[in-house]
Amino acid sequence: MADKMGAVLVVGGGISGVQTALDLAESGFKVYLVENKPSIGGVMSQLDKTFPTNDCSMCILSPKLVEASRHPMITLMTLTDVLSVDGEAPNFKVKVVHNPRYVDFDKCVGCGICAEKCPVKVPNEYDVGLMIRKAIYIPFAQAVPLKYSIDATKCLKLNKDRCGLCEKNCPAGAIKYDDKPVEEELDVGAIILAPGFNVFDAKLKKEYGYGIYQNVLTSLEFERFLSATGPYGGHVVRPSDQQTPKKVAWIQCVGSRDEKTGNTYCSSVCCMYAMKQAIIAGEHTAGLKPTIFFMDVRAFGKEFEDYKVRAQNEYGIEMHRAARVANIIEDPETKNLILRYSDPSTNEVSEEEFDMVVLSVGLQPPVGATSLSKIFNIDLNSYGFAGTSTYSPLSSSRDGIFVTGAFAAPKDIPTSVAEASGAAAKAGAYIADKRGVLEESTVQEIDVEGQEPRIGVLVCDCGINIAGTIDVPAVVEYSKSLKNVEYAEEGKYACSADCQERIKDLIKEHNLNRFVVASCTPRTHEPLFQSTIKEAGLNPYLFEMANIRDQCSWIHMNEPERATKKAKDLVRMAVAKSRLLEPLYESKLPVTHSAVVIGGGISGMTAALDIASQGFKVDIIERTGALGGNAANIHHEEDGKKISTFAKELADKVNADKNITVHLNTEVQDVGGFVGNFKIQTSQGEIETGSVVVAVGAEEYKPTEYLYGQNSNVVTQLELEAKMESGNVPAKRIAMIQCVGSRNTDAPYCSRVCCANAIKNAISLKKADPSKDIYVFHKDIRTYGFREDLYKEAGSLGVKFIRVPEDKPPVVSQDGSALTLTAFDTILGDDVTLHPDMIVLSTGIRPHADNEELAKMLKVPLSKDKYFLEAHMKLRPVDFATNGVYLAGLAHWPKFSDESMAQASGAAARAITIISKPELKSEGVIAAVNDDMCDGCAICEPVCEYKAITIVVDPKDAEKKKAVVNEGLCKGCGCCVAACPSGAMEQRGFKNQQIIAAIDAALEECD
Amino acid sequence: MTTSEMATTSSETFEPKIIAFCCNWCSYAGADLAGVSRLQMPTNFLVIRAMCSARVDPEHVLRAFSKGADGVLVLGCHPADCHYIGGNYRTRRRIALLKMLLEQYGLDPDRLHLEWVSASEGTRFQATIKDFTEKMKELGPSPLRGADKDPNRESAGY
Amino acid sequence: MAKVKIAQYWGAGCGGCDVALLDIDEKILGVAEMADIAFWPIAVDTKLKDVEAMPDKSITVTLYNGAIRNSENEHVAKLLRQKSLIMVSFGSCACFGGIPGLANVTNRKDLTDYVYGKTFSSVNPDNVRPQSHYQAPEGELELPVLYDTVLTLDDVVDVDYYMPGCPPTTELINLFLDVVEKHVKEGAELPPKGTVIASQKTLCDECKRKKDVTTIDGVHLPHEIDIDPEKCMLEQGVICLGPATRAGCGAKCIDANQPCRGCMGPTASVMDQGGSMLSALASIFRTADNETQLSEDEILKLMTQIKDPLGTFYAFTMPVSIIKRKVQEKNAGVKQ
Repeated sequence: MADKMGAVLVVGGGISGVQTALDLAESGFKVYLVENKPSIGGVMSQLDKTFPTNDCSMCILSPKLVEASRHPMITLMTLTDVLSVDGEAPNFKVKVVHNPRYVDFDKCVGCGICAEKCPVKVPNEYDVGLMIRKAIYIPFAQAVPLKYSIDATKCLKLNKDRCGLCEKNCPAGAIKYDDKPVEEELDVGAIILAPGFNVFDAKLKKEYGYGIYQNVLTSLEFERFLSATGPYGGHVVRPSDQQTPKKVAWIQCVGSRDEKTGNTYCSSVCCMYAMKQAIIAGEHTAGLKPTIFFMDVRAFGKEFEDYKVRAQNEYGIEMHRAARVANIIEDPETKNLILRYSDPSTNEVSEEEFDMVVLSVGLQPPVGATSLSKIFNIDLNSYGFAGTSTYSPLSSSRDGIFVTGAFAAPKDIPTSVAEASGAAAKAGAYIADKRGVLEESTVQEIDVEGQEPRIGVLVCDCGINIAGTIDVPAVVEYSKSLKNVEYAEEGKYACSADCQERIKDLIKEHNLNRFVVASCTPRTHEPLFQSTIKEAGLNPYLFEMANIRDQCSWIHMNEPERATKKAKDLVRMAVAKSRLLEPLYESKLPVTHSAVVIGGGISGMTAALDIASQGFKVDIIERTGALGGNAANIHHEEDGKKISTFAKELADKVNADKNITVHLNTEVQDVGGFVGNFKIQTSQGEIETGSVVVAVGAEEYKPTEYLYGQNSNVVTQLELEAKMESGNVPAKRIAMIQCVGSRNTDAPYCSRVCCANAIKNAISLKKADPSKDIYVFHKDIRTYGFREDLYKEAGSLGVKFIRVPEDKPPVVSQDGSALTLTAFDTILGDDVTLHPDMIVLSTGIRPHADNEELAKMLKVPLSKDKYFLEAHMKLRPVDFATNGVYLAGLAHWPKFSDESMAQASGAAARAITIISKPELKSEGVIAAVNDDMCDGCAICEPVCEYKAITIVVDPKDAEKKKAVVNEGLCKGCGCCVAACPSGAMEQRGFKNQQIIAAIDAALEECD
Repeated sequence: MTTSEMATTSSETFEPKIIAFCCNWCSYAGADLAGVSRLQMPTNFLVIRAMCSARVDPEHVLRAFSKGADGVLVLGCHPADCHYIGGNYRTRRRIALLKMLLEQYGLDPDRLHLEWVSASEGTRFQATIKDFTEKMKELGPSPLRGADKDPNRESAGY
Repeated sequence: MAKVKIAQYWGAGCGGCDVALLDIDEKILGVAEMADIAFWPIAVDTKLKDVEAMPDKSITVTLYNGAIRNSENEHVAKLLRQKSLIMVSFGSCACFGGIPGLANVTNRKDLTDYVYGKTFSSVNPDNVRPQSHYQAPEGELELPVLYDTVLTLDDVVDVDYYMPGCPPTTELINLFLDVVEKHVKEGAELPPKGTVIASQKTLCDECKRKKDVTTIDGVHLPHEIDIDPEKCMLEQGVICLGPATRAGCGAKCIDANQPCRGCMGPTASVMDQGGSMLSALASIFRTADNETQLSEDEILKLMTQIKDPLGTFYAFTMPVSIIKRKVQEKNAGVKQ
């Protein structure tokens, strides 16, 4: 690797830090990923499921952690703290200290014998103290890196010089009691801070009795209750008596929207996670009746409102709205909990008894935020989170230092992931001239074609992990008896460095052309062995693994004979498959090193500028005659600047950027090609490009209700802003109606921005003329995050908020031009009638009607609400399943301009991971069509989720058709192969005959 | 084992042979986690790894039965969790149809079982293996045991 | 120059294959010119003992049609194999079991019990069953033994070539006879042993219908809808086995606006035609937007639109399918 390669320091190994590290690494930069804990993974690793898809959190996170730990461009530094930062971007000098692990990182194989023997029991932080770990431990089973560490505060040896059991028992000799802190200085061009958050300490809300009443839990604890790896294996039970609870209550806003605790902001995620927990708990436990006490239900994100409706209707979750729980009293006999709360429907204090209570604790700045701010010399905001601004949402106050994830504000996972990518785009701009390329291996590959298989087998002891249960020498002897096995031997640790050398020697010595290792799981170790045999000149795909540890010795510990027989079976299967293995090659595809951004609004311009800032050409295709999009018409201020002014400044920057070409009045007519090689046909000609960012925005709903268009005093918020801009709002009594064109049958979703925008306008009007009477008719006020302060400010300025039922919007009538508004006030429990001078409709956001056409051209899907649908709602928020196409802004979902910009930077970073590469490599394990067999029946085409298959005219016969797999798009799942009825489709590495060989071998009678 | 021996095998000593197809991302990881967590279970199954449960071709399942498997498990990611977006939906449809077919062939459709096991569900993997092994013991040897050595299928009987 | 000697035999089949051979029109004259008919029960009066008397390998080519259903089928197949240079598995029944192969959903006992006891027209007060041997006053009578399981020709003898079709088309027969004639007359090389005399691709290759999308919303029987003769059958929800079936038949059913039922069997790289088509069909059911939320029962309901998977996907190939025949659970009672 080149010494001059640009590097970035990423602080924090949660999902944000990991994503930003991966994007930088994939763009050709070196990354130092620093984490102060023994494993990366962050809070997401502790979660059971994620909303709104109820995805298994660990399942989707774990591959990313493994990828980060394996990436040759990422140096993972766990148990590491940053001491100081000197210099200026792009020449930071960062001093870090690697705290002692007391376990030799290189020697430890993660076998866990040390932890088995360790006598010291400590509550495990990962399980929020609900389970026990040892003083020598990994935080959780899927920890990355899978290396043990000693908790120096608890270890008997380190504290009292007693015990020493781990050292005595470690078969790898990895224990290092005399380990010392090591300092290191890193040269980096930019820094990204992703330290995450901490949850509110529920003990501070004394009235809820957390820490005193056994059956009052925090939501993070409950997350562990739900998890299959948690204290009760996923069963919901009461801590007091281990009985299954019937009635469980969630109390929202514990440590959020609460002046008493000092956290006035809304934590943005608790409404959704509470509903998720209630749904999952209900699924786990028959007869469980969940109740949630909300203030407002803040389901503002993509598909969140649907989730809420399902939670209520399908899962029967009772939702108490506008209800603050005053306190909890425990029945000392039953340990049941009596909640006292104000019931908005009766205006009286009610009491209800529950078996168990979950406190939805809010998000706080991470512990150590202050010291971080000092070390990195960055500002924190008044809440203690990192200070950022609307127009540079990812930048800290110091040049070259960026923030992502919940460190800047409470936020959900997809927003954090999009921002993480965005921060990568920003950081990369500082070192764009120092992009590096990984060097290819130069070992000449041995041609094995036509050779009879000569298979080598290495059976691993894994210390005593395997050899303690399985008779390894017997397995070795058995291996030797199998057809085509030339050589077999036992290895103490197959993954150790000396074993890699041994494997290489064996291949040469015995002229082997296939290799089988029987040890642990291919999920973690296959890449290691593949690179080993590659170094010996064998194609890496001539390797096969038998999992005789995780899936044999560990799960059959008490049945050594049967486990030994099973290990033989597994080796026989691996050998049978390996006979039929073929060399595979990742084909290389050329890349056009430029991007196209469709849409010239704030999102499109931001994405274009970020891509251009790393030295790539960008074409913006804008169908109107000007840049700016919706922002050009938004005149309210954010951070002291009108959004419309900012949009104009941004357009000036775009026009001045020599890397960006703007095509105004231009429509996309067709899209051909694939990742790295798109051809965009526009009304002004063809553009070749490597990747595409979709930032086509959305539009304001044009109302037909509430006399809009019939009475000139009924206006939309944007029209109000135009009037305010010209100082022309004489009306004294103003009624604002929320959710106009949102959360109704036409558009069942929440448009996210209308509450805050309406309140912002209400505040401006009220400040300019305090005598104005302003009423806001709403279903919920969804001023999430720091925008909650606007809600509070409006209230204190005297803006009146009237909550109406979800299914009963206000009614507006006119007599001449005089307006009358009638609405049911849920607090009063009665109709109120008002005669406003002006009615302002908070109109929702709607997707463009022609999204469908563009989606078809790009082969990307739309959501049921007709917004563009990303590849994965949680962890791939700006990607499409179609490789090389990315998504940002309102085209994805309604959002604020700062959110759009952060997401646009994210889309830019993802596009850069493609166009920065000299060439793209396909996966090795992909589908391949046998042209002699394929008849173009097209069964496979719709089956492919990645649109990698196209049916084309057979070049040899214009009358016939055939399927073609795009190697750049195929991900190698093999779904099409199983669907193919003619046998023309095969999956390389998992061919039918290879799988059949394994099946037959599995069922062969032996012994 | 010959067929006549099989017929006399009582359910206590009968050890079913089970093939478990696991997708790489969820269920294979769940099986690994069961190992990491030292969750003990019967030895009667052998795992065959596929990248996605959707790679499991009905022909693979049929082949396993014809070679004498007493039961076949297909394990994939939970709906909406599929690493390959929607592969598991195809699997689910194929397995539903395949079970109908097996029943027509006279096999108890319970000999084929689809289960969702996530990467964090080591316990679910264990429970699935335990329950399925137990179920196969109840069902007894597959009537197709040994059938591949008997082209006329006379022994398979009907 | 030696004349080619041809034999044709009718095993468990409908006789259509014999007719197909007659159906080659004027070419039959060429056959007569080129070949002597050594044995062809429906056309020529040759007795088995005449065949037995022939020297081994003296018949150039035997076209054996029909499945192996009973001991006589097997006996004749073995005899003809012994006497023939080239053994051709002729027609779908010989190749895959064909329609008679569907008898593998039952067995000898159930079948005879039904036929001789349970049909509406059965009058059999003594509950008589056919016996393979019967001592009549005139002497011992013998009937072939009906097998439990329908077998294919290559289950009992070594087969050189396969010519699938129900029946094989005139084009394929002519093609093959030309090859044999060239071999006999000019010494041209024969195709490699095991060759299937048909296309290597599937029927979709020969099908002229237009195809835009290949997802289907539901399944219809051919008589339930007006099938658009221009559009792909599957696209219209009609189960067509074309994608899983070897081409070479000339797409005759498709031209008659009827879906393919799979008589040509699978391609060389498919092990199980039915399993393959089952997988394909299940794969292309239109994914509902809310498939995530569908329960297993709802999925099952979706799939039960295909009422008879075995009969649908294995109409011609059950005896060569991976499972081959219906079996009986020994502990069938356990489930209840």
